[in-house]
Amino acid sequence: MRRFGERRAVDRVDVDLAAGECLAVLGPNGAGKSTLLRMVATLLRPDAGEITVCGARLPDEAGDARRAIGYLGHDPLVYLDLTARQNLELYADLYGLDDPRDRVDAALDRVGLLARSFDTARTFSRGMAQRLGLARALLHEPVLLLLDEPYAGLDAAGARLLDGVLADLGPERAAMMVTHEVERGIRLAGRVLVLRAGRPVLSEPTSEADGAAFRARYEELVA
Amino acid sequence: MTPSWPRQLRALLLKDLRLELRTRDTVVAMLLFSVVAMMIFQFAVGSRGDDLTDVAGGILWATLALTAVLGVGRSWVPEREQRVLDGILVAPIPRLVLLASKVGAIYAYLLVVEVIAVPLTALFFIRNGQAADLLLVGVVCLVANLGIAVLGSLLACLALFARARELLLPVLFLPSMLPVVIAAAGAVHSVAGGTNDLAEYRGYLLFLGVYAVIFGLVAYATYDHVFDD
Repeated sequence: MRRFGERRAVDRVDVDLAAGECLAVLGPNGAGKSTLLRMVATLLRPDAGEITVCGARLPDEAGDARRAIGYLGHDPLVYLDLTARQNLELYADLYGLDDPRDRVDAALDRVGLLARSFDTARTFSRGMAQRLGLARALLHEPVLLLLDEPYAGLDAAGARLLDGVLADLGPERAAMMVTHEVERGIRLAGRVLVLRAGRPVLSEPTSEADGAAFRARYEELVA
Repeated sequence: MTPSWPRQLRALLLKDLRLELRTRDTVVAMLLFSVVAMMIFQFAVGSRGDDLTDVAGGILWATLALTAVLGVGRSWVPEREQRVLDGILVAPIPRLVLLASKVGAIYAYLLVVEVIAVPLTALFFIRNGQAADLLLVGVVCLVANLGIAVLGSLLACLALFARARELLLPVLFLPSMLPVVIAAAGAVHSVAGGTNDLAEYRGYLLFLGVYAVIFGLVAYATYDHVFDD
């Protein structure tokens, strides 16, 4: 549970995310989706309740949890006055990666920015900056991907890339994605959690839902 | 895969210095401010031809204290303005390392300012100054900067999530820095004020060192909580 003043932003949410699973968190504005994600990402402390990330209990073992987490928010979380390469090299050092140069090259290549690696992020379009943010989030091969509206600002190539990452998580990795895009959420995720006013109103596997029917049900739930 | 803190510290410090080299926002503003502040002090305390040697240390350290407020206030600006803070906070960086990286950056900015401000002080305010005195004043800077940087970094981190941080920071920082200003000005006066009292100078240096250690311990005791939302 997490309060902001008197308001309970997240309350009585019980989520268990297994390896290989992708969870889409849906809900209207102010439903508590981002707050929930930020608590899991160690960026906010819960006022009550327990969060465990890959065996590390928060907030006491936040350091261990952070090693396992890859976080991408609305913003790419890169320094605009550093080059793409300098940004990724910084994060490679912060995560203690071996062979940082090779890892950075591979990450830049993966998001199609190798040719622009010596340009500052300030010169990038919004979509390119967000792709750089995606490379940053994936650089240390996180076990848990936490994505907060990751498609915001992504160009078509970047969106395809992220779709591929989520579709091909593998058995070791899990993802939790906050999104407003209901159809994309249920298409990519194996499970969906719908929040309204901080509380869960639906949690079920997406295999039981088809797009149009779920959309209608979702509108009804969050109305 | 456990990141080593020296590597993280080096990377964070290098990042701050790179950003500053590229934008030159903070140090240039600090340099200009320090020169203007010194001119104002000169007009305020004496007329042309007056011997200001006695107050030179005071002018220098009052200037540096006010200049430090600028540097400390801007220490988290790249993270806030470029919205990178979440990326840094979600990385597995011990909070003490984050704090130490800002100590290093603020220390470096102050050093650059002092490279200009100390010779200017000697030139305009100290009569019959010797080169050796300038070196001793340099040592005062090296020690005093440590206390200023540790205290400033701690307060800047504390104010990171505070509302009206631009107001909060100087209100907390300047009074806490008063002992440094008094001791550093005293140390400068003891070697450049004509008395050349090395015993007094050493006493002031010791005080500045103890001040830095005390705030270092305060930072060590509180670092885990200063980044709380």
